[in-house]
Amino acid sequence: MSSRRSRISEEEIAELLSKLQSLLPEARRRGASRASAAKLLKETCNYIRSLHREVDDLSDRLSEMMATMDLDSAQAEIIRSLFRP
Amino acid sequence: MQATKSFEQAFLRHLLRGFRLSAVSYKSMSLQERKSAIKLSADVAMASARGSRKWTRGLITKLSREDEHRSFLRLILGTEYGRLTKPRHGSWKIPRSKKIVRRSLRVCSRRKNNLRAPHGVKSGVLARTLVEKRTHALKRLVPGGESLDGCSLLDEALDYVISLRAQVDLMQKLLTTFEAPKLRALSKCTLPERKASFVGK
Repeated sequence: MSSRRSRISEEEIAELLSKLQSLLPEARRRGASRASAAKLLKETCNYIRSLHREVDDLSDRLSEMMATMDLDSAQAEIIRSLFRP
Repeated sequence: MQATKSFEQAFLRHLLRGFRLSAVSYKSMSLQERKSAIKLSADVAMASARGSRKWTRGLITKLSREDEHRSFLRLILGTEYGRLTKPRHGSWKIPRSKKIVRRSLRVCSRRKNNLRAPHGVKSGVLARTLVEKRTHALKRLVPGGESLDGCSLLDEALDYVISLRAQVDLMQKLLTTFEAPKLRALSKCTLPERKASFVGK
């Protein structure tokens, strides 16, 4: 019973780590060679930081955009065009 | 792996609602104020669209620590606000006995070390410290991550990254849509009184 549980945990960890690896930008470039846990953690941290920076940058640009436009009149069109397949 | 379509739609709905509530498009404010309001809307929209996860609750809690955010949060989240910021005891996961949790956490850290190519005892110690150091860094980056360990932290980090990517993609799409010439033409059809409220950038 107990050994079954720890085997499940190992599989869970391995799966999570490989999923993380497949998400990271570098993995997509270089192919699926397995990275160490330390490297994966570093890459994940760097990736999260870069995503935070992107959100910050996009917020800046949206702010500049909005200063010169009326959102309400464009809203219906925005929603339509964004949800178009 | 990516966010679902329903997440994307929920995000956009919440985002646009957040913009309306904070009046970013017509209230005159500084560029910085507008940017902060947009970013706040985007983060709340991401958490709302995702639903109840450790990181979404962690994010809302973190945002609510700023005084100026609290009124917006109450407004946009309504009754959800109280629920999301209430400290939770225990995870939504099926509770395991302490012994089993401790054992699986040991396995987690052992497994982490087994993943690198074996180099010897000294580098083993170094690698363990490196993994610990980087785990701590990840804990600080994932909202609500401080109280998580091993598997849970990785699980939340994975979910958080997927959601962040969707947030970035959708904000980019929104920006592109705003910049489209057709829309710029539409936006110029504003009432004269409204136009007067924009006193430059």
